[in-house]
Amino acid sequence: MATERHAEATWSGDLMSGSGTIDSVGTGAFGPLDVSWAARAEDASAGRTSPEELIAAAHASCFSMALAGGLAKGGNVPERLSTSATVTFVPGTGITKIALEVRGAVPGLDESGFREAAESAKVGCPVSKALAAVPEITLVASLDA
Amino acid sequence: MPRIERSASVSWEGNVARGTGLITGETGAFVELPFSLPTRIGAVAGKTSPEELLAAAHGGCLSMSLASELTSAGSPPERLDVQVKIVMDEVPGQGHLVVASEVDVRARVPGIEEERFEAAVRAADDGCSFSALIRASASVTVRARLEAT
Repeated sequence: MATERHAEATWSGDLMSGSGTIDSVGTGAFGPLDVSWAARAEDASAGRTSPEELIAAAHASCFSMALAGGLAKGGNVPERLSTSATVTFVPGTGITKIALEVRGAVPGLDESGFREAAESAKVGCPVSKALAAVPEITLVASLDA
Repeated sequence: MPRIERSASVSWEGNVARGTGLITGETGAFVELPFSLPTRIGAVAGKTSPEELLAAAHGGCLSMSLASELTSAGSPPERLDVQVKIVMDEVPGQGHLVVASEVDVRARVPGIEEERFEAAVRAADDGCSFSALIRASASVTVRARLEAT
């Protein structure tokens, strides 16, 4: 069964001085979110999102679900997974790197078992597959003490 | 050109079928958005999903790219309305894959002819980093039409 998800965005004016909005998404889970070139390329402190931040959010959430699924299948349901994704964007070149980092609290699993499950999630999650053309996707996985 | 980094973080608790997660962007533009497997695959209840975030990313990317191309062509847009639909499907032998992103643009651009508008749309699709990435594994279609100004 195919799953469809929708988003709507609006832009006014030129790239450098204009501004846009991610007006709404199908589920109503967020929006409107303001976007601008300055926020995308320069200042991350203005509380405005960017395509790269949304891609980071998509990848971190997809990876977390895939890892939870893989761990549970192996009999080790995670208490908690904390994942971050950092997307590197070079204007004119594109997205050059995504760095995934995950810390897990997983009763009964050792470090190497966790790293193995994390590698599988990195390869198998649908967003990883959709973004397979990114030149470099890295992963650091560790268990909470 | 400077390298730009943007991060988001997720915390997840429990197994995949019954657990839930929260997504936060580093800029603070969105904080602790809830998501779960049932809302990713099926019923939609105000919870986002990776695919919805990709749809939002593509909409933001293409609208900025088109604003840039139109401005270079001497006709900055008054307004661009962009809708994106991301389709994920189960592909035999490959599991769940993002198979398509369908983009629909309505544009108000004073003084531009149809032909130059269409050229700007093609250039914007070529220049949008997200279009380029997912075209490697999925179909990307961009339909655009000019509205009366």
